[in-house]
Amino acid sequence: MPVPHYRQQLLPGFRLALGCALVYLSLIVVLPLTGLAIKASQLSLAEFWQTASGERALASYRVTFGASLLAATINCFFGLIVAWILVRYSFPGKRLIDALVDLPFALPTAVAGITLATLYAENGWIGRYLEPLGLKVAFTPLGIVVALTFVSLPFVVRTLQPVLEDIEPEVEEAAASLGASRFQTFVRVLLPTILPALLTGFTLALSRSVGEYGSVIFIAGNMPLISEITPLLIISKLEQYDVVGATALATVMLAISFVLLLAVNALQWWTAHRDGRDGAGTGQP
Amino acid sequence: MIGGPPPRRANAEPRWLRHLLIGTGLGFLALFLAIPLIAVFSEALAAGWGRYLEALVDPDAQSAIRLTLIIAISVLPMNILFGIAAAWAIARFDFPGKNLLVTLIDLPFAVSPVVVGLVFLLIFGAQGIFGPWLAANDIKVVFALPGMIIVTMFITAPFVARELIPLMQAQGREEEEAALSLGASGWQMFRRVTLPNIRWGLLYGVILANARAMGEFGAVSVVSGHIRGQTNTLPLHVEILYNEYNAIGAFASASVLALLAVVTLIAKTAVEWRIRRETRVLSESPAQERPVASASRDMGASAGSLRSNPSGEWP
Amino acid sequence: MSIEIRAISKRFGSFVALHDVTLDIPSGELVALLGPSGCGKTTLLRIIAGMESPDSGHILFAGEEATHVHARERKVGFVFQHYALFRHMSVFENVAFGLRVKPRKLRPAEAEIRRRVSELLKLVQLDWLAERYPSQLSGGQRQRIALARALAVEPRVLLLDEPFGALDTRVRKELRRWLRRLHDEMHISSVFVTHDQEEALEVADRVVVMNQGRVEQIGSPDDVYSHPASPFVYQFLGNVNVFHSRVHGAWADIGREQAQDLPADEATAFVRPHDIEIEHRPAPGGLAATVQQVHTVGPLVRVELAYASELIEVELTRERARSLALREGQQVWFRPRELRVFAVPQSGLEEGGSGI
Repeated sequence: MPVPHYRQQLLPGFRLALGCALVYLSLIVVLPLTGLAIKASQLSLAEFWQTASGERALASYRVTFGASLLAATINCFFGLIVAWILVRYSFPGKRLIDALVDLPFALPTAVAGITLATLYAENGWIGRYLEPLGLKVAFTPLGIVVALTFVSLPFVVRTLQPVLEDIEPEVEEAAASLGASRFQTFVRVLLPTILPALLTGFTLALSRSVGEYGSVIFIAGNMPLISEITPLLIISKLEQYDVVGATALATVMLAISFVLLLAVNALQWWTAHRDGRDGAGTGQP
Repeated sequence: MIGGPPPRRANAEPRWLRHLLIGTGLGFLALFLAIPLIAVFSEALAAGWGRYLEALVDPDAQSAIRLTLIIAISVLPMNILFGIAAAWAIARFDFPGKNLLVTLIDLPFAVSPVVVGLVFLLIFGAQGIFGPWLAANDIKVVFALPGMIIVTMFITAPFVARELIPLMQAQGREEEEAALSLGASGWQMFRRVTLPNIRWGLLYGVILANARAMGEFGAVSVVSGHIRGQTNTLPLHVEILYNEYNAIGAFASASVLALLAVVTLIAKTAVEWRIRRETRVLSESPAQERPVASASRDMGASAGSLRSNPSGEWP
Repeated sequence: MSIEIRAISKRFGSFVALHDVTLDIPSGELVALLGPSGCGKTTLLRIIAGMESPDSGHILFAGEEATHVHARERKVGFVFQHYALFRHMSVFENVAFGLRVKPRKLRPAEAEIRRRVSELLKLVQLDWLAERYPSQLSGGQRQRIALARALAVEPRVLLLDEPFGALDTRVRKELRRWLRRLHDEMHISSVFVTHDQEEALEVADRVVVMNQGRVEQIGSPDDVYSHPASPFVYQFLGNVNVFHSRVHGAWADIGREQAQDLPADEATAFVRPHDIEIEHRPAPGGLAATVQQVHTVGPLVRVELAYASELIEVELTRERARSLALREGQQVWFRPRELRVFAVPQSGLEEGGSGI
């Protein structure tokens, strides 16, 4: 029997648990971030603007976002294929490959960075085949795309997999029985169903890529204005004891993080809301 | 139809397309995941086992390994406590601001590690908010172990809570209510019912948090100060050696971290498999119904009917 | 042990779950709380168990104030709708749980625990499943283990939330009879919640019919079925034909004695399908109608009569139907053997003809 939500008083430990969680979050996450906001607010607008919109900063945003968007797009395309074959087809070694998809979550970014840099260097395993084609990857912006594609690879696959698993075969069979071709079924039935998950995966990948540091710096070449990402610019400001500049850039980065986090939340709310309404339609007598 | 295996799905893709998709997907994964993973070990062993082991027993490498372990061991218990507390409050109670709390827990995933490092530098650094006070009392946070532990706590905060919240929401609160109505105290309920029910989810979260704690680079790099033999974690050690063109040394240390990643993936998959089995057993419809009388009358027959149950792969 | 419920009210936000509910549950009785979804029956059960606290009102156990006693100290056995068995414990450990968590001083010795648990497992006829885990049991078995677990702490009261709700019909009937027998052997005051009228009427000593957070009627199963105290109870327990006086003037005439004190346009007559007699000749108080359909449903024959613009449902025994030999389209006369008239505001009932 569906019962209206209980306000639970029987179970113990609410105050203790909430108290612990809030104290931990406040001390470790919220107050430090507020500290950054306070520091940023002490800067004059001119100071802030000078750094945040300086030539080098603008170039770094371009590089960071350009590479991140490209990496997220690549991952959307291939991530959809990988999720699809992992859910729909059977082939030898599937479980191993499924487990391998999480490697970027588990492999420290520094390791990924030096490995990719070595692989794509002129004499590296992969670089030596690209070199004759005139394709330079390591120490160019292209290298950044490769590193970001690696670190954000699992997001699209892992958000799509459960959604693909949940699609009932009947839906596709119904489309087929109504005369839709396989391609039409995919575009008109499947794609709309997985679109929110695909967008969520894209945004998560983007969010991760924009902030990424460890894997990029080894392969990027780090040439100001060309292949310098914003997190690296923050570090180099710090190394020059330019705390003001670093703070301004970090504030911009933090604001972008918030926007992307909100976007992910909105997408998830949208998905849940959509599914919830569908479910309510069949669930209520 | 007769003779050949029936198609799995009435509307499956044509064979050539299936092969193309599998080929593309696997090719992509090979290029981006498999080859780099193999390359780490291959580069590390490029000059033979002798040089490899030499690089690993190097005192700086040893101290980096030690520091990495110390950080992980200090961070994980806090993380577990926070994760359980947050999940208990969120999954078992309704309160205003709950959604905000959930979003806040996610926040560390969204913030760039470099920004995280900078934030703590701004608070505890020489020019930071508490900088003068810390200096006056001769407490070193930044460019020392405490700072590295704190940034790692920030970075890993969401892992355990993120795993436990959906798990506990799915399990519901009835078992805990049952325990209380049977006379259990709050602690007995937690230890005997809650904890056993969430143990696999907890382990899963800890595995992920551990991998991140040991592998974190950006944030730790900002607050570490890179003092060899003192504030170098393994990932920072890798960076230094690599920048010194000591490829063998860098990849030797990297291979330790890659091994950690492989172990993480194996453990994670095993736990995932375990969780999936438990939830599947729970969600599947109960075993074949049998009237009361026949159940008590004839044990043999009942056991037989249990064996013939199609969903009969029980532990 | 007796339970007294005094003027209990409970809201969840703006939703009134219970409104001024007063109820006595005498010692040793098996009582059913019966009502549709959302009528507050589960909330009342949870309040009795101490899992929810009322906004106002009191609960007395054996005459003693128990409103604010913690669930742990109430000595109440609660069987959850979905059993809430501890999934990581064997059947044996599930049943032993209540004994093992007792304070050290009160905790029985291990041998005693083993003896008590196996005794209970024998009582629920599942001693051969002791080492299994909940996931390996059928729904009916889980239900009985949940009951054994609740009984292990020797509760003063046994509370069951939709005890047979999740089971299929055959198992449900078996378990129903079995619960009744168990109750007769143990004589422990028991309250169970159900939305299934058949279940309540068959198992309980007394039935409490609830609707929208209020008690509609309390009585023996025969009482509530044969003498419903309100239109709701009439409609909730079994099929009923509803006749509004304005639409069906003649029916109000038949029930005139009962309808005297009621406003003329609100008097509504309720008649059970099996309380209607069909004749081939006009009889005093009989009304003419046309036979629309005749169905044989198991032991009964269901006849639909067209009267004015309404369909009237009548249930006959097979014998009676045979002797009447009804044909579709035939004109017949019918009259109620038994009916009740209630004042129901025009807006109160949506259906005019045969009710649910």
